[in-house]
Amino acid sequence: MAASALGLREIDAFYGDSHILQKVSFALGEGRLLGLLGRNGAGKSTCINVVVGLLPARGGTVEVFGTDITRLPPESIAARGVALVPQGRRVFKSLTVRENLLVAARPPGAGSRHAPWTAETVFGMFPRLAERRHQIAAHLSGGEQQMLAIGRALMANPRVLLMDEPSEGLAPQIVADVMATVRTLKESGLSIVLVEQNPRLVLDIADDIVILNSGRVAVVTTPAGLAREGIDLTQHLGVY
Amino acid sequence: MMQQITSAQVVILAINSFALGGLLFLLSAGFSLIFGLMRIPNLMHGAFFMLGAYFGVSFLEWGMNFWLAALLSGLAMAAIGGLIERVLLRRLEGQVLPQVLLTLGFAFIIADICLMIWTGDPWQPTPPPELRGAVQAMGMFFPLYRLMVLAVAVAVAIALWILVDWTRLGAMIRAGVDDPPIARVVGIKVSQLFTLVFCLGAALAAFAGVMGAPFLSVYPGLDFEMLPLALIVVILGGTGSLLGALVGSFILGFLYNFGQAMFPDLAYVILFLPMLLILVLRPQGLFGRVMT
Repeated sequence: MAASALGLREIDAFYGDSHILQKVSFALGEGRLLGLLGRNGAGKSTCINVVVGLLPARGGTVEVFGTDITRLPPESIAARGVALVPQGRRVFKSLTVRENLLVAARPPGAGSRHAPWTAETVFGMFPRLAERRHQIAAHLSGGEQQMLAIGRALMANPRVLLMDEPSEGLAPQIVADVMATVRTLKESGLSIVLVEQNPRLVLDIADDIVILNSGRVAVVTTPAGLAREGIDLTQHLGVY
Repeated sequence: MMQQITSAQVVILAINSFALGGLLFLLSAGFSLIFGLMRIPNLMHGAFFMLGAYFGVSFLEWGMNFWLAALLSGLAMAAIGGLIERVLLRRLEGQVLPQVLLTLGFAFIIADICLMIWTGDPWQPTPPPELRGAVQAMGMFFPLYRLMVLAVAVAVAIALWILVDWTRLGAMIRAGVDDPPIARVVGIKVSQLFTLVFCLGAALAAFAGVMGAPFLSVYPGLDFEMLPLALIVVILGGTGSLLGALVGSFILGFLYNFGQAMFPDLAYVILFLPMLLILVLRPQGLFGRVMT
């Protein structure tokens, strides 16, 4: 297996007194796409919040390319090459499209093998954003906001990209566009964690699958492994 | 009840209104940024104005150039404001009542320190030599210094507008206001940016104090005379809106001067009534966004 781009080891996390993540461990290989599945409340977004530093882990470690980032504040974690496409998009609504991209801009780290992302390359990937570059982000459609959230994450020239339910609340055609973008990014060699409730979107694109159930890792496998091992998704994901 | 005024008095009152409006903008722009962007109701702002003015008085007493004194006073207040924000206010993030009490308490402390150092006597520094006197136009005399205050206020307004609306730094500050956690995840150092905004607001208040000293003079109680004016400006114009602060400042400058000249018995009614109307009819102010 390739070197680990992101590794969670025995993570325990709480909201107040509620023990949400219990000894969660998994690893994302460099250049791979890991599909993180689980039903509502299984702890997927909590995992993401722990990685980006929004929720401090009470136990365990998070590593990015071998560096421990567990106790770092979010802005320092971003500086180490971790970018997030947040759940619900959460673009900066009072900023223009272009400003949303520029505030996140960061030069690529040493040893980056890819051409750096700039506002122009993001606009090249999402021509609709280019047309709306001077519009306030609040005035964009849901799909456009999702493109902007992805573009904003890319502007940091990340080494690890976390995508928290990028299909949520979007029309099927837009979801297809978003997934095509995810595939392109994967093919560019970016290491990606894709959080989804809908496994259909993940199974044909992911290299690895991790299923969370009630805050614990229930399954670690591959899409092929799911079928081979006869894992019953309804048991872990509910209605499917 | 209404006093008659001549057309010549109208012109002079208008000049004074513009000058006071400019001064109020310098004062309230910082207040508006701190309240509108950081949601901190900084009741020390009048005290920053007065302490800045006293700093200026002392610098001028030491023979310093007027403009240097104003800039240095602003820098000193930025340092003091930054320290208070970093060490104390930061611990009260999101807690409005403790913030009100802390800033009000500091306002009293600053007032007492000023009384101790600069005594209860009023100080009125002279304007810089090149700005004493008046220019004559259309048969009337316009006081040079007040025109300069207006010009400086307009220059500061333009500089702030460029900073907030047209630079990456300004966009980062606005992003930090829109969604602080995500701004941090994106890599923006929100905490440092907010300290910077607080320092800038404090510096502007002190700078305004020095600019205002030659025509307002500096005396105990100036702080709590200026604070309500800053509040009215921000309520009229809308929090966080620089354009609102500018328009609100000039409205208040005119109300203050013309109100006192024409309706001396109702001076405070004329100042506060528009504020009450705005609060009832358009709580976000003339140019403010609805706060979320």
